[in-house]
Amino acid sequence: MAEYTTAELMAVCLAREISDGDRVLQGLYSPLPMMACLLAKRFHAPNMTYFNTADVIDPEPKKVPFSTAGPALQERAVTYIPLWQTFDLAQRGELDLIFLGAAQVDKHGNTNLSAIGPYEKPKVRLPGGAASAHLCAIMDTVIWIPRHNNRVLVEKVDFITGQGYLSGGDAREKAGIPKGGPRKVVTNLCIMDFEPETKAMRLVSLHPGVSLEQVKEATGFELIIPSEVKETEPPSPEELEFMREIDPKGVRELEFH
Amino acid sequence: MKEKLCSLQEAVATYVHDGDVVAIGGVGRNRAPMALVREVIRQGKKNLHIVGREKGMEFDMLIGAGCVKKVSFALVSLEEFGLAMNFRRKAQAGEIELDEHACNSVITSLRAASMGLPFLPLRGMFGSGVFEVSKNLKEIECPFTGERLAAVRAIKPNVTLIHAHQADKYGNVRIMGSPFEDILKAWAAEKTIVTVEEIIDNDEIRNNPQLTSIPYIYIDAVVHQPKGAWPASCDSYYDSDIEEIKAYAQAIKSPEGFQEYLEQRVLSRRD
Repeated sequence: MAEYTTAELMAVCLAREISDGDRVLQGLYSPLPMMACLLAKRFHAPNMTYFNTADVIDPEPKKVPFSTAGPALQERAVTYIPLWQTFDLAQRGELDLIFLGAAQVDKHGNTNLSAIGPYEKPKVRLPGGAASAHLCAIMDTVIWIPRHNNRVLVEKVDFITGQGYLSGGDAREKAGIPKGGPRKVVTNLCIMDFEPETKAMRLVSLHPGVSLEQVKEATGFELIIPSEVKETEPPSPEELEFMREIDPKGVRELEFH
Repeated sequence: MKEKLCSLQEAVATYVHDGDVVAIGGVGRNRAPMALVREVIRQGKKNLHIVGREKGMEFDMLIGAGCVKKVSFALVSLEEFGLAMNFRRKAQAGEIELDEHACNSVITSLRAASMGLPFLPLRGMFGSGVFEVSKNLKEIECPFTGERLAAVRAIKPNVTLIHAHQADKYGNVRIMGSPFEDILKAWAAEKTIVTVEEIIDNDEIRNNPQLTSIPYIYIDAVVHQPKGAWPASCDSYYDSDIEEIKAYAQAIKSPEGFQEYLEQRVLSRRD
């Protein structure tokens, strides 16, 4: 089997969340989602529509840039599209998926990118959640976490920037945001989803070489462990070759240094 | 049409005032109007309320230089080169007021202003702490359907700063790449300053009017400023200067490092 890095495995896991025909938005500072969109389009989802924060549709970059809003992500695009028009699509329910990051994520998939500690007097002021507070309320999201540990995966986030399932169960419906929600959480250790009734996080698969104990220890809440836990399917040689071809500078590894 | 060509110094001195609401063009480190930002710092403007969606070095630099009292934003970050440490330090110390948004609520604030409206509705936002703590997002009910929506208060900039590819001397502007929200920001503002890579002839504008992104009616000053986005990128003209951004990311790790950077790369130079 081909050797691969955790970043490469995660990029492929994100790509597999994209179905053929989906409309997917890749945000700013999103190297793995960028790779995922390009992978999906190249392999299993040629008819997906790829929107990005360089504000174009369906670019075909020869090499990926460091900034995921950089000019290379406009190459051979079919059009420029201001992000607010892409958000209009989301608001109409016509955007299928966005990948979002987080400094903290809790057992109901709420994400924090605003503040650690009290919001008004934060211990650590974080950069802000970008599109989160709007898009997490109206569409499907997949959260990616390059460092799975119990400071990142917490019982309850200090501040909800991006809405997950709030307090779980039917809390989204009650809050007036019935549509969408986090579908999966992909980390450097495993893939998780949400149990349909309680909307609590549940293990789906362990990455090759990762033990169940390791994941439990690195998770700051009690993760639901189903009777069958699969092993995450590794990247194919073709997927690896493609990533290395379009990303010789290792943009995909930036979050793992 | 009036001629609007002027120097960087003149444009900033005339149109940017202490206490102004200032919308800043570009996204991340792409087509940020860096020469304008450096000039604002050199002229020592104070108490600015800066507005933008996903912003980087330009917001951090203005904040670190003490020009800013309030920030309307969805994200302030140097992306993969690290944290916007001036933003972080001043926010943690309570020295700047934060008006935190989602990307689309910042944009909607500007759309409302550009339409001359006091607010616009947005779907979503409920359940987020961003909505709960905000003074500028409130729940309303649609009078026709009864749907619960978030009302987003307009933000009307006193002045918008953008960097574009080309303009004629009257301020007919061509953005030869993604416009981001720059067009909206110009529509929304009372005044707009544009720096451009190239000044082109008015005949060229008139021969290809479909290429005009912002017509002269929205533009107040045109500055010929090649490399005016540096070290940010200007799509199809140049990419961002990664070494310079890394040097900035390193410098801002301490207030002293930032002061030194400011002295050497901004205050003691001219663009």
